[in-house]
Amino acid sequence: MPPIKEITHISLDQPLTYVLDNGIKIYLINTGQHEACKIEFHFATGRTDEHKRLVAKSTLRLIKDGTRQYNSSQLAEKIDFYGAALNLNAQLDASSIVLTALNKHLENLIPILAEIIWDPIFPQSELEVYKKNNQERLKLELIKNDVIAYRKFTELIFGENHPYGYNSFPETYDQIFREDILKHHLERFGTSNCTIFISGKIADSEIKLINKYFGQNKKIVKLQSLIYNGEINFSPQKLNIITEDTVQTSIKLGIKCFNRSHSDYYGMFVLNTIIGGYFGSRLMLNIREDKGYTYNIYSSLDTMKYDGYFYISTDTSHDLVEKTKAEIYKEIKKLQEKPIDAEEQSMVKNYLLGNFLTMIDGPYNTIDVVKTFISEDLEISHFNQLIEYIKTFNVADIQALANKYLNKSQLWEITVGGKNKK
Amino acid sequence: MIEFSRFILENGLKVLVQEDFSTPVVAINVLYDVGSKDESPELTGLAHLFEHLMFGGSKNIKDFDTPIQQAGGECNAFTNSDITNFYITLPVENIEIAFWLESDRMKSLSFSKKSLKTQQKVVIEEFKETTLNEPYGDMWHHLSEMSYKTHPYRWPTIGLEIDHISKVTVEDIKNFFYHHYCPNNAILVVSGPVKELQIKELCEKWFSDIPMGEIPKRAFLFDKKEKEERKEIKAPVPSNAIYMAFNMPERLHPDYYTYDLISDILSNGRSARLFQKLVKENHLFSYIDAYLYGSIDPGIFIIEGRLLDEVSLEEAERAIWEELEKLKTTPIEENELQKLQNQVESTLIFSETGVQNKATNLAYFELVGDANLINTEAKLYQEVTIENIQKVANQTFRKENLSVLTYLKNSDKKI
Repeated sequence: MPPIKEITHISLDQPLTYVLDNGIKIYLINTGQHEACKIEFHFATGRTDEHKRLVAKSTLRLIKDGTRQYNSSQLAEKIDFYGAALNLNAQLDASSIVLTALNKHLENLIPILAEIIWDPIFPQSELEVYKKNNQERLKLELIKNDVIAYRKFTELIFGENHPYGYNSFPETYDQIFREDILKHHLERFGTSNCTIFISGKIADSEIKLINKYFGQNKKIVKLQSLIYNGEINFSPQKLNIITEDTVQTSIKLGIKCFNRSHSDYYGMFVLNTIIGGYFGSRLMLNIREDKGYTYNIYSSLDTMKYDGYFYISTDTSHDLVEKTKAEIYKEIKKLQEKPIDAEEQSMVKNYLLGNFLTMIDGPYNTIDVVKTFISEDLEISHFNQLIEYIKTFNVADIQALANKYLNKSQLWEITVGGKNKK
Repeated sequence: MIEFSRFILENGLKVLVQEDFSTPVVAINVLYDVGSKDESPELTGLAHLFEHLMFGGSKNIKDFDTPIQQAGGECNAFTNSDITNFYITLPVENIEIAFWLESDRMKSLSFSKKSLKTQQKVVIEEFKETTLNEPYGDMWHHLSEMSYKTHPYRWPTIGLEIDHISKVTVEDIKNFFYHHYCPNNAILVVSGPVKELQIKELCEKWFSDIPMGEIPKRAFLFDKKEKEERKEIKAPVPSNAIYMAFNMPERLHPDYYTYDLISDILSNGRSARLFQKLVKENHLFSYIDAYLYGSIDPGIFIIEGRLLDEVSLEEAERAIWEELEKLKTTPIEENELQKLQNQVESTLIFSETGVQNKATNLAYFELVGDANLINTEAKLYQEVTIENIQKVANQTFRKENLSVLTYLKNSDKKI
């Protein structure tokens, strides 16, 4: 076997920063090889400050469907004509409009984008089509056990009225009106909560172009987070939902955690990796690679701006559900009773460092890392601290976290499935 | 422009090296010229099951994943009807680990009974998850069977039925391995901060002692589609759906790029015709898409859509036909062609990012004919003319050339 070399240096390219005339900040990773770029207009607004359910997402999705000058199909035609792509990412805490394009077309695209972002008119007819198609899409999702289980999990840990916890149903869309959308756009899309993230290879002239179309207006918005101030404290339940016509049951086990600035975050990040965060994880090796109970099993530590959660997820045949759950708890118990050995520690460390190297490979990936920290109001240096932690973590700390957060009595357990297909 | 060099080892292993010093990560891609089309009709799904077994230990290495993770890398693979493709990405300092692993499993697998038994269970769960549990998940089963009568594309890569997967024996596995997993049936591509000379040395060191194998000659019968076929499935799906598959020529046919642009006219971007007309304007579908299943042998051109509640399947199909008839009777405008060309230019440039993408694409193009297609494709797209689009539309969008699969929801389940 050839010797394995340790990965010693991982360095995140520092973004260049610019401030537009109106105060909007630009972060730029300019290491691209082609005359192309990705420009993300990031607004700090989402579910956390919408005045009505689904309004944040609907506003963002409909923003491209009509301005004073152009209707929806004219706008689509223009963006497609220049070979560009416009993606709208509705997240819990943020709303992003992402343009990917060749530089030579920016001159034509940036003015259109400015119109889309600042002057949308949200035609009633577009809202109707949007509602209907999303209701259909949701109907399709709601017959999937995996989706039902995930939705139930987040609803239970946060509560059904919490911005991170509520679920939407086809009927929820019926309650969205044009006034809601107009109000949300007026009150939540400002220059004061906008940040621009650019990656690729662009010149000063393009920054000037952006300044011309995005740096001149000024719109201050006041945001009010709806996140509860107090701790959410529900006691965990075990819930079994029976659905028909399926051959597998979906299992989710998990616990509400915290956001990235919590003192246990780095440790949980490592613990999650060990349990189910990569192919060599405990759950994968035991439940898939040894027992063959499932095609996929994983765990995930998800963080938002104000909170987060950890969960384990898998799908398995109905008759293997009890066995699979027993093995999951067995793996957790092992981590609580005994610290991981040096070999596993070095594997987790090396795997993660290699993974980070890929995560910051190329400008389009790097900017996403930069954005993650900036949008959660954290310093970019958090990235280096996480790397330092991974290089030097203490196995006893990881064991302690398994005991602190993963006791059977603390975990929510959702299973969805049950009846065999006829 | 993607530059690369190419050499062949004495045992027939083709190697391509693509130097890219903008990244600390290297990708090693090994493509085997074997897919589900090489299976026997009684043992379908074998090629894909075999892909899983390639991670279950080889002659001298107990476990494939541990060393890669120790080296800070990741690996994965996929199988389709034409190829089985494996790739590793890792920090370039540890490139030799990838050579050690890939060469050992090309030499010989461990053929462990335990690994076969476990992966059979895993793949059966995969079959359930992706095909049986997923709404419309069995559409490939139906479309393949309707579009092909004799060619092995008539079964899907996951396999015709679970029974085929569970009856595979260690003997079947050995047989498959020695006939297909040979250096002269593989293409190795390295993309990353490496020099050709260094890769030559590594290849000599790790791969040159693997003997050539005898690869069975393929003798597929090609179908000529002559009549329309229709199938209706009643299933617990949330909305009615339609899948229309038109037979089309092979990957290397000069019209391939015309077909690709036709699918763009119909459904690339929100301005595309099917979305604008049938979703936005006429409110018939909640979702619609057109794409080619770009197989090496003659393929299929698919249009699929999910219907809104009050729309009948007849009405939906008629509306799709109207759009297809338009393509047949009316030449597209210069402006629309220019849009297609701009879209292709963008897509090609963005596909040049990432070493793993590049390595996998180069391997595939090399198999199809010449890796340099990665560079000449742009020109082939530019050569597509308005006349040819109309000609191909007329050749293709005919009832006799069509298979239609429809899903009819069988209940109004409350959710």
